[in-house]
Amino acid sequence: MKELLKLCGFTDKEPETELARIEKVFKRLGITDEDIETGKQRLHKYYDIDLQGLRKVFRLIIKELVNAILAKEDGREKLIYGFMCPGIDLLGSAFMTKSDKVFSIHHSWAFHIVIGCIFGKIVPVLEDAEKTWLKAGAVAHCANVKTIAGPLSMGLFPNPDMLVTSAYTCETSSKTLDILHELYDIPVWYIDHFKDRAITEYPGPSDRVAKLTAESIKRFVEKVQSITGFEIEDDLLIQVKETKRKLEKAITEMRKIVINSDPLLISSSHENIWGCLLSLTSTIDGIEEATDAINMLCNELKEKAARGEGDVEKGAPRVLAICPAGQTDPRLEYLLCEVGIAVVGIDFTMGEKSKKHSDDPYLEMALGSQQVSLELPPYGRIPLIINACKKLKVNGVLDRYHVGCRAVVADALLIEEAVKKELGIPVMVMEWENFDPRSYNHQQFKNRLEIFREMMIENTGNKS
Amino acid sequence: MNNECFIFNERLDTHLRNRPSELEEAKRNGVKIVGFFPGNYVPEELIYASGAVPLCLIHGGNPKPAETALSSVPRVICPFARALIGEMMLKENPFYSAVDMVVAPITCQHLRKTAEIWEYRGEPEVFKLGIPHQVYDGLEVNDFAERLDALKDKLQALTGNKVTDAKLTDAVKLYNRMRQLLRKISLMRTSNTSVISSMDFIKLNHVSFYADPVFMTEVLEEIYGELAESNTASDNDAPRLLLAGPNIAMGDYRVPELVEAAGGNIVIEEICEGVRYYWNEIEAGDDLMKSLAKGYLTDRVPCAFMSSSAGKRLEFMTKLISDFHVSGVIWYELLDCEVYDSEAYFFTQKLSEQNIPMLILEADYGTADIGQFKTRIEAFIEMVKEEVE
Ligand code: SF4
Ligand code: SF4
Repeated sequence: MKELLKLCGFTDKEPETELARIEKVFKRLGITDEDIETGKQRLHKYYDIDLQGLRKVFRLIIKELVNAILAKEDGREKLIYGFMCPGIDLLGSAFMTKSDKVFSIHHSWAFHIVIGCIFGKIVPVLEDAEKTWLKAGAVAHCANVKTIAGPLSMGLFPNPDMLVTSAYTCETSSKTLDILHELYDIPVWYIDHFKDRAITEYPGPSDRVAKLTAESIKRFVEKVQSITGFEIEDDLLIQVKETKRKLEKAITEMRKIVINSDPLLISSSHENIWGCLLSLTSTIDGIEEATDAINMLCNELKEKAARGEGDVEKGAPRVLAICPAGQTDPRLEYLLCEVGIAVVGIDFTMGEKSKKHSDDPYLEMALGSQQVSLELPPYGRIPLIINACKKLKVNGVLDRYHVGCRAVVADALLIEEAVKKELGIPVMVMEWENFDPRSYNHQQFKNRLEIFREMMIENTGNKS
Repeated sequence: MNNECFIFNERLDTHLRNRPSELEEAKRNGVKIVGFFPGNYVPEELIYASGAVPLCLIHGGNPKPAETALSSVPRVICPFARALIGEMMLKENPFYSAVDMVVAPITCQHLRKTAEIWEYRGEPEVFKLGIPHQVYDGLEVNDFAERLDALKDKLQALTGNKVTDAKLTDAVKLYNRMRQLLRKISLMRTSNTSVISSMDFIKLNHVSFYADPVFMTEVLEEIYGELAESNTASDNDAPRLLLAGPNIAMGDYRVPELVEAAGGNIVIEEICEGVRYYWNEIEAGDDLMKSLAKGYLTDRVPCAFMSSSAGKRLEFMTKLISDFHVSGVIWYELLDCEVYDSEAYFFTQKLSEQNIPMLILEADYGTADIGQFKTRIEAFIEMVKEEVE
């Protein structure tokens, strides 16, 4: 256990009480000695665990999970869980900064990383959710929603005082929470807006939609204020936003170093770790700690580059991947490196930042949330992808689609058509489940990726 | 459309047959045709008041368009949404080919993506109508009313006609009358002597989405009169069933047909797409756009894509079960419709507490499931019969 924790950035200086808390949580989550061994092996195999900055990031993620599971025992009086709810990371951090009686967590990102990526034990959680209404089989239910339903029905997380989701990102999440409310009597709040931007309202964010989103977020905050009794001032939100901006800047900086590297400095199996870090609902101090960790990582990556080291062979074909890295399973990203494909970017992180800004923190949040790839229709998303391909100078596109998410599924073939037509580079369309390791088919994926690599090499050769 | 065993009078039959050429003629005379997606969230009154012809695009059941769409979208998009995409690609359906603009309410992801794909392909023009997925108070009604105002502007620009209060009031009255008549016909089925079958009632709804509304209302008056006269004719002791689910498209009649063939009697439907929401009327107040927003958003039972809807629909279904003396529920959902599939579990649990059995059927538009469906439906009806006895 100590060795594992050391790999995850915990030092000898850590108070005994902290270690006891982790042990307690791991026990509750059913982590055995054997799992600890597996965890160590997976950390070594799939992650650049020698990087101290990365270890610090893992430490923050484990701490968030432990704090979430022990929240009630720690005396937190109100628990607020966000699920598929843009902005909740910022709001959650504000709630946590405001009062130590409240605990807010952005859904189960930390749970995915620890239980899924490190220990490889997410499947029993998914199976638990499938026992009831999110059944496996013909209807491809998104496994992400199973990772909120499963832990709650298994009693792994304490029942929250409020679940909050957005009803616009997809109705799968809001419906899941609706059923959770009906079955377990958990209060649910829905942030909403109209996802009906006209084609003429692109490429920038729509003021009309932003106004509705801001109104809705504000009403959620009012609701939280009414159940917690404290007030969330705009100044606090601005302060949290500013602190988060530094973290975002550090991560953008790190991604730049990676994008321009050859050999690729760090595999894309780390992408969901950065995503998770951005979503943590730490207090302002916690966000600063996260920023320090990423800054340290940037320096380490520069040193690695100077040594000429990387995770993929030098000169490997460069690829833009559609959809984020496997949220609960790093194997596909690892396989990509093994086969010799360098994923240099992911469409979800390539969106143009909104050029519109507002002094109203709610409006500011709302303007930003419209521009991410997941929220865009094909005529917003496809140009984003084409531009990203040009910017990254990629040799191909890995057009994987998360089968449970109709918001992204429906674009897959249009993306393929447009990229081939406009850029003439190979596209590999791949169906997979972003949150379900059972969708990983090693041999099949390996064969297909090898062919894809050959196609890219041939295509590049033909062009030069 | 196959009208066998349908209670249509000749006039309705002929009207539907001639409707595509009538629409062509209207188009030649400068009338605009405005299609819209089903689900009962688009106020037809508004389209009608603009002088355009509203058409609810509700064809489905035929595997060809749904299969054709597979070159544009993966199979996990529901067959109805795929059928919409496929129809636009095939250009073989005269109703779909006639539309100048489509109003797409943003309901489930499948329909949202369908609208976006049509928009991306550039034909026909699409107006996306945001629907608040959660209604807490008057704010959402106001927001929706604003969107309806934008739709009104769009329709005025398209048709060149002004939507006056007088025109809108007339349109509201007309559609209210249609809903009223459908409700009256539907309510006849609370008694055991009704002569209208579920198949006929569903088809009547489907036709009402394509027919001229004035004509349709006249015909509904006639049908209602005829049914009222003959309402003592039969005494059906088949098990009384409720048909629930997201969508019954025009042409997707396998399930009601199999139920009828197996000796079941569907006496009421709780369907989001394909059956008009006829339970309430629009209460026209001083601000007509607000009246429409309220009528279409809050004065109704929400579909499953709405955020907190399961409890409200259970309550409504429980009332229907009691009012229509129902002994079993057939839950027919289209493959890959996640929201209804999620709710199926909840409804099974809750209805079993009321001793109402529920059969869940899940299908694509292919023919592969028919044999299995037949066996399951027969067994279910036998079970319900035994429980009733
Ligand atoms: S369907 Fe998509 S948007 Fe919805 S919960 Fe799953 S991943 Fe998130
Ligand atoms: S059947 Fe379900 S998935 Fe398909 S359009 Fe209707 S609500 Fe959407």
